[in-house]
Amino acid sequence: MSEGVGVDNLIELDYVKVDDGQRRSTAHSAKLDLRVQHVSKSFQSKNGTVYVLEDINLEISQGEFVCLVGPSGCGKSTLMNIVAGLEQADSGDVWANGRRIQGAGPDRVVIFQEAALFPWLNVIKNVEFGLKLKGISGRERRTIALEYLKMVHLTKFQNSHIHELSGGMKQRVAIARALAMNPEMLLMDEPFSALDAQTRWILHYELQNIWMKTKKTILFVTHNIREAVCLADRVFILSTSPGKIKKEFFIDLPRPRDDNDVNVAEYSTRIMKELKTEIDKVVKCEMDADSCVECDIKCTTVEAAKTDIGGGI
Amino acid sequence: MLAGFWQLLFWLDIWPEYVLPSPVSVGKTLAHGVRDQSLLIGVAISMKRIAIGYGISLGVGVFAGLLIGRFRIFEDTLGSLISGLQTLPTICWLPLSLLWFGLNDKAIIFLVFMGAVLSIATGTDSGVKNVPPLYIRAAKTMGAKRWKLYLEVIIPAALPHIIIGMKQGWSFAWRSLMAGELLIVCLGLGHLLMLGRELNDMSQVIAVMLIIILIGILVDRLFFFQSRKTYPRTLGPG
Repeated sequence: MSEGVGVDNLIELDYVKVDDGQRRSTAHSAKLDLRVQHVSKSFQSKNGTVYVLEDINLEISQGEFVCLVGPSGCGKSTLMNIVAGLEQADSGDVWANGRRIQGAGPDRVVIFQEAALFPWLNVIKNVEFGLKLKGISGRERRTIALEYLKMVHLTKFQNSHIHELSGGMKQRVAIARALAMNPEMLLMDEPFSALDAQTRWILHYELQNIWMKTKKTILFVTHNIREAVCLADRVFILSTSPGKIKKEFFIDLPRPRDDNDVNVAEYSTRIMKELKTEIDKVVKCEMDADSCVECDIKCTTVEAAKTDIGGGI
Repeated sequence: MLAGFWQLLFWLDIWPEYVLPSPVSVGKTLAHGVRDQSLLIGVAISMKRIAIGYGISLGVGVFAGLLIGRFRIFEDTLGSLISGLQTLPTICWLPLSLLWFGLNDKAIIFLVFMGAVLSIATGTDSGVKNVPPLYIRAAKTMGAKRWKLYLEVIIPAALPHIIIGMKQGWSFAWRSLMAGELLIVCLGLGHLLMLGRELNDMSQVIAVMLIIILIGILVDRLFFFQSRKTYPRTLGPG
């Protein structure tokens, strides 16, 4: 372990305690790529209004790798969809590269949990898909697609059908397909959570290499803290019902990191402590038992959500 | 072997020849029909009619299916209209068709169109409804919009269902073509069949029937068998 690297170096920022001024001062001076301002989102359910996201503020600089971590149901995927432009926020704005986002666009490509490759196209044609939409000519398309397939080490399989690939290979193709579009940022919505541990480990390593090579801004959603610490520059912890940013951690470890590295493990343990109270909340809500009604009220109704702010966190 | 059994039945002489002709005389009629081109012309005329009728229904059916599959308002109107019309046998359109178009080709083509269009529309509709939303989301984040989204994602993803609809539509179209040709006198295979009856020529009747079956099978194999091979597991998750 090198000097100056250790759990004592883990900088954390409590979003409940710090005020806006303090928060802003920590924002990087580099060019901002993504700015999420006061974004809120709620759904109607039979138990009342569910506040999925409440007043989310995020600032991500160009070339940063940021992870959103939270228990299931905390609205992290919803936030991702809002940033992607696939869903609309009730209030608040999202600015990507200086422009207010309106709908989905090829500057923010999403990589989903399931690779979402098109089974009627073979591997290389899948990678070319976005380029074709952009109107790039056939030969140029092929060259670009091959370049990115090479980056994910799948040129051998360029003419394979999608159903012939393993889960990890599909996700690599999805990454190549996204990168080929040369987007401003990559939005990754739990892309590795359906993979086995070994494949995930390899892909963590490769994603870091790709990120270092391409310097894309990456917003990565996961429920896996170890994964977040292994990959990100900054990790945001989201609390649940309502989804709010609870804490921010700066992960200052040399790259490429390994899932099993001691520092990664130590950082993860620290962050896990923060998350635990949130997970407890979710578990309480999801247990059916006899306290179900009480739980539902506590978790989902307007009043409960309001009184919860700052309370149980 | 079937032909052998047929010949055997003929030799047994249970029925007179105008009820059951021998396979040999049917074969002769076939050969004769090909030689004087009456059969070939019949086939050509029928194929032309079905090609036009089926072609139009393909365009209209896929378009209608897309509208029904994607827009609620069309589902409630056009969709329920189509499922209602499907209970109506195609040949029931004949009187209407005759009144609209008169005793001519157009009336038959309209019958063919009505035979195929409903199946193709419902096939496309169910195909569109079964496109995994994930594909559409993924395509949207890559910049697919409006007609490109349809052309590049929704139609290819719905293709297996569309092909099933096309296949069913084809068999309905083929049937209504024959029915129409039997009832309207204007050349074509159906007319040849009727002519055989009028001349009491059983071997011609059977010869034409054989050709009708043959074409039906041939088209099914040529167009639809291959397409099943080209799109393996298209319905499975990507």
